[in-house]
Amino acid sequence: MPASYEILPYGDSAYLIKFDVAGYSEAVTEHIHGLIAVLGKQRNWEELVPGYNSLLAYFCPTTFPPQKAIGELRKALRTSRMPSIRRGKIIDIPVCYGGEYGPDMDNIMQSSGLTKSVVIKRHSRPVYKVCMMGFIPGFTFLSEAPKTLHHPRRESPRNIVPAGSVGIAGWQTGIYGLESPGGWQIIGRTPVKLFDGERETPFLLKAGDRVRFKPIKAGDFHD
Amino acid sequence: MIEVRQSGTRLTIQDAGRPGHRHEGIPRGGAADKLSFALANFMVGNPWDTPALECVLGGQHFRFQKDMTVAIAGAEMWAQVNGQNVENCTSFKVKSGDILTFSFARTGCRAYLAIPGGFSGDEFLGSVSTYLPAGLGGFDGRALQSKDILEIKDVNPSPNIIPTGYKPFHSNHIVLRALEGPEFYELSLSSQRHLFIDPYRATQYTNRMGARLKGNLVVPEITRHMISSPLLPGTLQCPPDGQPILAMTDGHCTGGYLRALQVIRADLWLMGQIKPGTKISFKRSIGTDSFDVLARRNAFYGNLIEGFSF
Repeated sequence: MPASYEILPYGDSAYLIKFDVAGYSEAVTEHIHGLIAVLGKQRNWEELVPGYNSLLAYFCPTTFPPQKAIGELRKALRTSRMPSIRRGKIIDIPVCYGGEYGPDMDNIMQSSGLTKSVVIKRHSRPVYKVCMMGFIPGFTFLSEAPKTLHHPRRESPRNIVPAGSVGIAGWQTGIYGLESPGGWQIIGRTPVKLFDGERETPFLLKAGDRVRFKPIKAGDFHD
Repeated sequence: MIEVRQSGTRLTIQDAGRPGHRHEGIPRGGAADKLSFALANFMVGNPWDTPALECVLGGQHFRFQKDMTVAIAGAEMWAQVNGQNVENCTSFKVKSGDILTFSFARTGCRAYLAIPGGFSGDEFLGSVSTYLPAGLGGFDGRALQSKDILEIKDVNPSPNIIPTGYKPFHSNHIVLRALEGPEFYELSLSSQRHLFIDPYRATQYTNRMGARLKGNLVVPEITRHMISSPLLPGTLQCPPDGQPILAMTDGHCTGGYLRALQVIRADLWLMGQIKPGTKISFKRSIGTDSFDVLARRNAFYGNLIEGFSF
């Protein structure tokens, strides 16, 4: 049963399709990627940006009237079929948890009542799915973190979060691809470069891939 | 060739950006003040999207090693050639050995320097725009520094003059027309009103990614934690501390704070002139006003500059 949705205007040049789901839904993230595959073939969209439970379609209202744009979105929502869930390759990402690499580890320990080693064990146990890339180049949004580790974003975002930082925001977990301002609770960092513009394939991961975290010691953290 | 003698606060190569990659976390980027950038190119006879230099806050000095025509537009920075004032938003001839200097940005934040044929830079996804967070495009992916030498192209200039009514007015109090963002109605009623009453001020944390603002607190009626959702340049986000953040040209492609407002498309270029200390007022855009403004502005400037639209 597909989730219900609404289409909201987002400024004068975009619509936001918002799916009605509480928490993480693998079916909805797959549906969003299916829609992007359909809409991506139409040349009128300047940008198509996925969220976990939403999709933003950006266009120029002088060349593509909004009434037409919303019509195309409705049509795509009616006709796009749920794609079969792609099982991408599994990639191991080494992470040094806590200490200088994970300044918010204490927050997670406090809210969960768990010791550091148990937090690490729980966070590195699942095989996560890459739901989407975004935010900044290489930022990897993963599927749901174990329930005991859920924690809201910081009240005020940091002006600098180092590249490779692994964080938690609500039920989400993810990796900062580059140094950036950001508000996630940072519990560790990977020395792996998720984005490198000079590499033949700049992105290490793409939506659909699977990720497993491998805890490493601070001494093994080499850029 | 042109030698960068001083790079000032910041100096980068920018063009019209790389659209269509926000789903990969790569913002369009490009000139932060698209209109001033296009006007600078227009004045030296370039297509509007030709790579030009974006000079932030002033302090830039250039030395020309060839006779040529150049144009400047954007923030008022008291530009001079060999110590003689040159008018902003004009094109003029320089000789080999001449020195062009930008003083401080009196009004606005970014000035554009265009030359016939434009500047060369590293191309990434069809654009040479410098995107500093990932070290992409521009001059080896970095901001220009003193002693950098910029190649020039052998192009005969066909300078154009901007008719008076087309020169934009810059101010240190910027009014941005805005529509309600997707979460606007989750804000408390007083926050909804405050957004449009008193001006905000851009803090020192203001750059091409975003401007952290200071002013009336903007808080939700009921706190809830959002999951990461798409974001656009011109979105005003409200983190729990109540101090809004305005996403800019190189801004994040997704975000997890309430999206309170969205600046209308016709006013996005003005955000490129926000510097630390700039006053920003949000003016509520009603109904289909934003479409009418956009259509009028596109017709007006599109008539002058071939192929340009906001």
